[in-house]
Amino acid sequence: MSHVSSKVTPWEARRQRPAKGKSGSKLAHESAEKHVLGTATYIDDMPELAGTLFAAVGKSTIAHGKILSLDLTAVRNAPGVVDVITLDDIPGEKDIGPVFKGDPIFADGVVEFHGQALFAVLAESFEQAKRATLLAEVSYEEQPALLTIKDALQQNAFVRPAHSMQKGDAASAIAAAPIQMSGELYVKGQEHFYLEGQISYALPAEDGGIKLYCSSQHPTEVQKLVAEVLDLPINHVQVEVRRMGGGFGGKETQAAQWGCIASVFARRQNRPVKMRLDRQDDMVLTGKRHDFYNRYQLGIDENGKILGADIELAGFCGYSPDLSDAIVDRAMFHVDNAYDLNNARVIGHRCKTNTVSNTAYRGFGGPQGMIFAEAMLDDIARKVGKDPLDVRKANFYRDGGSTHYGQPVEDFFLPELVEQLEQDSDYRGRRAAISEFNRANRWKKRGLALTPIRFGISFTIQFLNQAGALVHIYTDGSIHLNHGGTEMGQGLFTKVAQVVAHEFDLDIDMIQASATATDKVPNTSPTAASSGSDLNGKAAQNACQILKSRLVQFAQQHYQVNASDVRFINNHVVIGADENSAQWISFADFVTLAYQNRVSLSTTGYYATPKIHYNRDTASGRPFFYFAFGACCAEVEIDTLTGEYKVLRADILHDAGRSLNPAIDIGQIEGAFIQGMGWLTTEELLWDDKGRLQSNSAATYKIPTSVDMPEHFNVQLFDRANAEDTIYNSKAVGEPPFMHGIAVWCALRDAVASVADYKISPPLDTPATPERVLNAVMYCLQESKA
Amino acid sequence: MIRFNLNGRWIEDNKIDPNCTILKYLRTTMMQPDVKEGCAAGDCGACTLMLGEMTERGIEYRTLNACIALMANVHERYLLTPSGIGRAGQLHPAQQALVDCHGSQCGFCTPGFVMSLANLYQQTGQYAQQSALSDEQIHAALSGNLCRCTGYRPIIEAAHKMADFPACDLTAVSSRSGVQVFNPQGEKPVEGSPAALQDIDGRRLFMPLTEEQLKALLRDYPDACLWAGGTDVGLEITQRFKQFDTIICLNRISTLARTQMLDKQLWLGAGVTYSQAEHELADLFPSFAQLLHRIGSRQIRNMGTLGGNIANASPIGDTPPAFLALNATLEIDGNHGRREVAIDDFYLGYKQTMLQPGEYLRAIRINKLQSSESLTLHKISKRYDDDISAVMFALYLDVQNGIIQKARLACGGVAATPLRAQKTEQALVGQPFSENTFLQAANFIGQDYQPLSDVRASKEYRLQVTRNLLLKSYLELTAGQTGDAA
Repeated sequence: MSHVSSKVTPWEARRQRPAKGKSGSKLAHESAEKHVLGTATYIDDMPELAGTLFAAVGKSTIAHGKILSLDLTAVRNAPGVVDVITLDDIPGEKDIGPVFKGDPIFADGVVEFHGQALFAVLAESFEQAKRATLLAEVSYEEQPALLTIKDALQQNAFVRPAHSMQKGDAASAIAAAPIQMSGELYVKGQEHFYLEGQISYALPAEDGGIKLYCSSQHPTEVQKLVAEVLDLPINHVQVEVRRMGGGFGGKETQAAQWGCIASVFARRQNRPVKMRLDRQDDMVLTGKRHDFYNRYQLGIDENGKILGADIELAGFCGYSPDLSDAIVDRAMFHVDNAYDLNNARVIGHRCKTNTVSNTAYRGFGGPQGMIFAEAMLDDIARKVGKDPLDVRKANFYRDGGSTHYGQPVEDFFLPELVEQLEQDSDYRGRRAAISEFNRANRWKKRGLALTPIRFGISFTIQFLNQAGALVHIYTDGSIHLNHGGTEMGQGLFTKVAQVVAHEFDLDIDMIQASATATDKVPNTSPTAASSGSDLNGKAAQNACQILKSRLVQFAQQHYQVNASDVRFINNHVVIGADENSAQWISFADFVTLAYQNRVSLSTTGYYATPKIHYNRDTASGRPFFYFAFGACCAEVEIDTLTGEYKVLRADILHDAGRSLNPAIDIGQIEGAFIQGMGWLTTEELLWDDKGRLQSNSAATYKIPTSVDMPEHFNVQLFDRANAEDTIYNSKAVGEPPFMHGIAVWCALRDAVASVADYKISPPLDTPATPERVLNAVMYCLQESKA
Repeated sequence: MIRFNLNGRWIEDNKIDPNCTILKYLRTTMMQPDVKEGCAAGDCGACTLMLGEMTERGIEYRTLNACIALMANVHERYLLTPSGIGRAGQLHPAQQALVDCHGSQCGFCTPGFVMSLANLYQQTGQYAQQSALSDEQIHAALSGNLCRCTGYRPIIEAAHKMADFPACDLTAVSSRSGVQVFNPQGEKPVEGSPAALQDIDGRRLFMPLTEEQLKALLRDYPDACLWAGGTDVGLEITQRFKQFDTIICLNRISTLARTQMLDKQLWLGAGVTYSQAEHELADLFPSFAQLLHRIGSRQIRNMGTLGGNIANASPIGDTPPAFLALNATLEIDGNHGRREVAIDDFYLGYKQTMLQPGEYLRAIRINKLQSSESLTLHKISKRYDDDISAVMFALYLDVQNGIIQKARLACGGVAATPLRAQKTEQALVGQPFSENTFLQAANFIGQDYQPLSDVRASKEYRLQVTRNLLLKSYLELTAGQTGDAA
């Protein structure tokens, strides 16, 4: 070898110690140094090619109605404007609905929500494009707009038919139960507020094709949609994603529209086109977490044990289906959380409203189902006068049971985890201290809650549970890794690189992951459903195993040894059975030798999740490969005069299986908790009576800041191997810990309930802003007087 | 000509549009993508930079939001960005600590956090290991930085660990070119209208150094945009894509940027920033200083001014209710001569004030409090830090011999202007200083205020919480006497 990169540590030094950065080590994020220097490149940071133009969309100013005329003369004549397009200018498919149709790229004669894209402008600068969009003259025939779930339910307006799941006979069980009770909860949605807004950069390519850089969790879908919109075969479009500045589900389907518009312009003008949504456009034009309006009827016994449950969930889908079918399904799958409902009927509605089409968001409906389970359990506890934690424990599933969709309950060690957290957090001692505090203080009240998480892992759409990887070994021993997963900050590239390092027992710095690209690994699934490491880790492992078996086979022949005498240790390949006489060959020298002996050093890898199946017609099966568990104990203090509050402490114990990277997993858990807490406390979406989004900026939509973090915040991993054969028996960690935020909401409710001596379960819709907390306090005071 | 020092290198440019923000200039003209656009409204902090100013103590830095600050702000100053304070393999302590503590995930907000932490490191002398940082200091420094991934815990940890790394004094970075050290006294101010700092396609930028120059400019350009901190007017450019023809920057006029202790009064120049006021008011008006900690973020407080908050006439500005409660006097100056008005008379209607074209707000005067007097302030918002008030509540009381002698209650967020609650005040005056008095007075709030419902709160909550804040104020003032914690 002529030159060895100065970045490569000498192989002799690598031999003397274990390989660095293998699975299980607390490795920093692969881009950490670039993040802090600001040199990690996001799409807007790429040097712009000469001739780059900038696109912006013109938006509707009504929520619902026919477009009578659309006069774009002034737009076309505005300074800097190069091109203007409407739906008529789309050469191919005009509807970019991801699963079901219904998402025209621009409003198709009818406006379906306030702010819907009507046309797009291309100009010499971003500002010129933005200014031009305001010059359109549009006349409408306005129609009544459906703006709430209740409106939609009343008018039977749905984007998809209702679905129901059943176990036993809920109605009879409720009727026969000693105690019947009912309740409801309105759970508002959530803006993703990824720090990097939606962006695409389209370059015209040969043969009419497109090279698109897109901040998307689902490059394959963007590729397919761009091809359809341009009426091209899919192989003419390449989509590349190096990293996103956050996704959280908001870039699963919602990135495609901007990529398609940029591509149409790029083709029409044969020039590079950048389409970036500024923050306000991003908030108005892209879907959010669904609001849910949930109702229950329960039959319970005197100890608070659930005997039967009739539950109705209704999701706020917006104007089109998008992913709402699967999202409402997941809410239904999780409305039991960790509890055996015994007899249950669960029905889920997909409500159509004249608002932006709501979409995937971390947890994908699961949180909206799970918070309702926790609300029910708290209501039960108040009803029977017990500590909510005792009622929760009494209702836990047991191994051998089954869910309301027929999935057997297996390896259910959550009670053990909860027991441990109860001890570690001193739940009982603090409960007593809080009672004392609340007796001693007239205006400040404290609340405590310990809530569990049981979250199903797998896409509930079975075919999405597959992944591919591509691994090349070069002759200096460095490895190029590519897979279908996208990096949005969750550390996927780091974890999958650790898998490769682990397989070859190589230092992590020998592995270089490259941007997710549709021409490297095709037909990929979105990086969603917490599946990134599970799927892509296994696919990469598969590729490594294929390469290893080729290398071992080569070594067997070349050195005339048994397969078991070829081992990968400390960045070296060790040939020979006997430790002392074995030959140590650096990985670089070994792969060079293999190459010279004409062994292919490149392969793809593939993985498909086993065991899963779900029959939607009978609403039964095993939609989830396994469940991730966790529990959170949160303590809050409220001011009963203003409704203001502070989260004093949060203790979290979370099950990530045998963690691939404890530092990254803990980062996911901490971040998810705060995001979940934000969803239920300060983050409030609001539309006015015209259907205009009022919370349309960082000034009006408030995600948590550093001071909102609990004063005491402890996160621990519950270190236990996944019983299922996942990558090194780890568990998915992206979404499950989001639901730890529910403990904060339950604790707030607990604090409020204290003013009525816990005899009333206070109504507390979410987010629990100071206003809602104060209202709940006043409700309790009035009711306890009455 | 705008001339500034970027990461140690002096740059001169005479082709900068007066409306050009620092963020836009760095990202486009300088091709420097280490400064990110997250919201372009000064709310997320992804664009946070350090701005250095030469003083008699050397270069002093503060953070600002590059997205809503004009290039005028950097004229003859020092700018530091993440790629200027460290490089691969040789990171600044703030950067190294963030890496070691796993403080970045998606990384998009990270450059902003780096700069807020580096500024904290620099300001508190962490390189000299002067003192350990408190959580309060760290939260204050990060109050304008949003992170959606980490949940902040590792970032706070990183802040605590910065001092553990080899020392780094950033003034060395700013001055590393070794030449052209800016003379803080600058050129001698010319008489009459100063020349435009930039004049591009009929758009002009002026930076007067004296009030005389300002008055001359106001004569020539009575419709000019007066730019003090720019934390509100900046949004016109970045959110509504407006272009101003003439911008007059007020923040180099030294007479507007100082405070003076008078015999019985405190004189606050209209150009005093919130950050300055946090210090200046700490002793005499501790509750006011406490409130200032919650206005905007550190970055906003470093730029935004008291005068801007008053003259802006927003019904949701946080300081006007406090100044109303304190019965502040405003000094107005300009081409019609100097005049003084009571702040009670200043607001005429929604976003309307007594200021005429050609006039500017010069200063605010408030009386020092006597031992019988008190000022109680409450800010109610959905989020604790960096949020706009649903209700801003300000109550001044003079209690002698157990009787309320004087009461001034003013609130923001409950009417078209910051407004006194005169019927409620009347119900307090002359009454015993007792819980019952406050409970009774609260019944008048609904007669004084008819708030609206909006994105921040419903009208019902605004009224209810304002009533309750009267009681809460009483409880706070008597804390320790009644056994009730407020």
